[in-house]
Amino acid sequence: MANVHDRHHLISEIDDEVNPGPMNIQFDSSDLRSKRPFYIEPTNIVNVNDVIQRVSDHASALDKRIHYYSRLSTPADKALIAPDHVVPAPEECYVYSPLGSAYKLQSYTEGHGKNTSLVTIFMIWNTMMGTSILSIPWGIKQAGFTTGMCVIVLMGLLTLYCCYRVVKSRSMIPSLDTSTWEYPDVCRYYFGSFGQWSSLLCSLVSLIGAMIVYWVLMSNFLFNTGKFIFNFIHHINDSDTVLRTNNSSPVICPSAGSGDYPDNDSMIFYANDTGVQQFEKWWNRSKTVPFYLIGLLLPLLNFKSPSFFSKFNILGTVSVLYLIFLVTLKTIRLGFHLEFHWFVSTEFFVPEIRLQFPQLTGVLTLAFFIHNCIITLLKNNKNQENNVRDLCIAYMLVTLTYLYIGILVFASFPSPPLSKDCIEQNFLDNFPSNDILSFIARIFLLFQMMTVYPLLGYLARVQLLGHVFGDIYPSIFHVLVLNIIIVGAGVIMACFYPNIGGIIRYSGAACGLAFVFIYPSLIYIISLRREERLTWPRLIFHICIIILGLANLIFQFFM
Amino acid sequence: MEECGSEKKMEKENLGPRMDPPLGEPQGSLGWVLPNTAMKKKVLLMGKSGSVLDRLHSLQINSSLSTYSLVDSVGSTKTFDVEHSHVQFLGNLVLNLWDCGGQDSFMENYFTSQRDNIFQNVEVLIYVFDVESRELEKDMHYYQSCLEAILQNSPDARIFCLVHKMDLVQEDQRDLIFREREEDLRRLSRPLECSCFRTSIWDETLYKAWSSIVYHLIPNVQQLEMNLRNFAEIIEADEVLLFERATFLVISHYQCKEQRDAHRFEKISNIIKQFKLSCSKLAASFQSMEVRNSNFAAFIDIFTSNTYVMVVMSDPSIPSAATLINIRNARKHFEKLERVDGPKQCLLMC
Repeated sequence: MANVHDRHHLISEIDDEVNPGPMNIQFDSSDLRSKRPFYIEPTNIVNVNDVIQRVSDHASALDKRIHYYSRLSTPADKALIAPDHVVPAPEECYVYSPLGSAYKLQSYTEGHGKNTSLVTIFMIWNTMMGTSILSIPWGIKQAGFTTGMCVIVLMGLLTLYCCYRVVKSRSMIPSLDTSTWEYPDVCRYYFGSFGQWSSLLCSLVSLIGAMIVYWVLMSNFLFNTGKFIFNFIHHINDSDTVLRTNNSSPVICPSAGSGDYPDNDSMIFYANDTGVQQFEKWWNRSKTVPFYLIGLLLPLLNFKSPSFFSKFNILGTVSVLYLIFLVTLKTIRLGFHLEFHWFVSTEFFVPEIRLQFPQLTGVLTLAFFIHNCIITLLKNNKNQENNVRDLCIAYMLVTLTYLYIGILVFASFPSPPLSKDCIEQNFLDNFPSNDILSFIARIFLLFQMMTVYPLLGYLARVQLLGHVFGDIYPSIFHVLVLNIIIVGAGVIMACFYPNIGGIIRYSGAACGLAFVFIYPSLIYIISLRREERLTWPRLIFHICIIILGLANLIFQFFM
Repeated sequence: MEECGSEKKMEKENLGPRMDPPLGEPQGSLGWVLPNTAMKKKVLLMGKSGSVLDRLHSLQINSSLSTYSLVDSVGSTKTFDVEHSHVQFLGNLVLNLWDCGGQDSFMENYFTSQRDNIFQNVEVLIYVFDVESRELEKDMHYYQSCLEAILQNSPDARIFCLVHKMDLVQEDQRDLIFREREEDLRRLSRPLECSCFRTSIWDETLYKAWSSIVYHLIPNVQQLEMNLRNFAEIIEADEVLLFERATFLVISHYQCKEQRDAHRFEKISNIIKQFKLSCSKLAASFQSMEVRNSNFAAFIDIFTSNTYVMVVMSDPSIPSAATLINIRNARKHFEKLERVDGPKQCLLMC
């Protein structure tokens, strides 16, 4: 037996300390399924003051266990290699823009991303594009045509600059390993827990604002879809009662006469047809349809992991492309109707320069918002040196898309019979519910929003519950209460204040204040100060940006 | 008494080629001499298949070279189906590892001929079941034979059952399956009582199960805890842990405030065992460690002959020497506590 022991004694002396890291990677050809490396970031030393730590206790304990077991056996011994089902799944990383798309991203460490520039640009464009596109024509109307165009371009440039500051913010932190940081981590580094909490608050404002907008829109689209189907089945033609144009491409002015939002197509009545009246009673845009959605969406919000929904991301792109197509087609049919009156409003036209332009800037703050996840999106770029260039190109494309849709809808709005003032906060409302093209658009958007809504709910839940309770799913009770609050807010808004333009601009200005205007500039000023490179022009310029952000928020309430 | 198979003595923290010591010599315990091994209380660790047991053994009992040899020797002993070895445990307990491996006729013969010898003087029986086993009937049959033998030879023994490899079961089914097994085992074990644990080497359950077992094996554990508490309060420590020497299982601990990480015991255990392995490669043996930064100081030191102590102080102004003197003085008191017939006194508050 002594020989046996000596032999094993020898084997055990082989120094397997050379690579103490992920010992459970097997390159055995017989094991075709490659094992996932399990790796704890080096900076998981937890500070006493840290409330949230990056690595869970469970993962850290498993890490120590695996290290110890790896010392007990020779690398050839497979029995002590951690099987896949034991290693925690990689953290799910979601990128989202509140009114754009939300989806799960494969996050790479810096420098190892696999996406070409084209893919990166497309992803940035795709994330930013979303339902805010529906309010741009209304925003241009509120600001005046010329002012509107200039404001869109200028806001694009301003938010682009702030985005550039966000992207560069990490490189100005010299001593720490920031490769896994996102922008809220940078805020926390500079401003401590105030930074953390304020960025959490702004993030939640934008998310919940977006969810309320979605609820209003979903009720709207569901209502119109139902009405279309009902009218189609019963061959009802509900024209005539609403102010509209009389040609093959009808455009309606739902809020003609009164400044209030139409309560609801109860202008159509067929006194003898009780069936229609019943339908009108049970299918009401602001009284019943928002409640029907609860049964559908509230259960979906309670899911622990929404990765199923992020597979439908393609619907967002398809919807936007379809909207572009729709707008082009309508413009071709309707033609241009533009008249330039600079300061006075006429019966059919609005002045070119209006004092309500802050409403447009409010909408645009959320339309150009991607500052919370731009770092993650750019991390996947294969050629990191092209990051700034790709960002600029993406913003340019987004600006062009908004300009295109906004200008075309505004310009083609048939002004002689209808006033430009009729442009609704959701421009699809300007098409009657029996218009087949806009019916298709509404269906697409309805499905897209139904798949994005649970994802946004999950993100809001993870951020709020994770920071307040330390656990993203403390109990079904907590989650249910949060979901009921969010859904309740959506339902209330859909019933009493379904003006998506208003909701977008208020939540956009509030959330953008922190992430878009204040934090990037302030952090830049502070880091320059620390490096003693702060000059007066730079200081004044960035303080102007901060003042603009504040003004943006304040004027939402006055204009 | 000679048993079939080779008898290996494991020396903790000591290197160099192992030698089989002459029989009858006591393992270096507190200093009282035992006439022969038959007088020592045994902890029997039994299970049907070798792969389960050697993992169990290697991971919880030992951290030095002897681990390798056990692991490999199980694989290499094709001629001997029953493998066992001795490990000194908690001073006056000897852990007998029985790997009841494969062939039935051998197993039956073995049991009949050696039964009395194996099952005499047993303090604790730990039986390991593989949750994935396809031969449930046979497992239960062997288990019952062991129980019968226990009932005849050491009726006062405590029985623990580990349902092992639970990580291979789906997470939502684990509780259900474990409860079923537990019911069955309880039923089969009557009139003896058994405690069941579900374990897996990939999570904290194995460590917790062993810690519970060790906790039950210590005769005066409540007194130990009280003394530990007094000790901690006197030296103003945040947390004091008492580890078993060979396995680094936490025997007892005291903490004066809530700690965030529930897995810290196992983590510390794994870190120190790993460190001991590294030391052993340099032919050195681990004795003590001090870890200090601006927020805390932690001391790990040999305490009594069966235990290590870890003291965590969060007041960095207290010099190390003071804490080390305190530990040294407390050592004597705790040594006395460990003697079974030692005087029962409390630490005097000075």
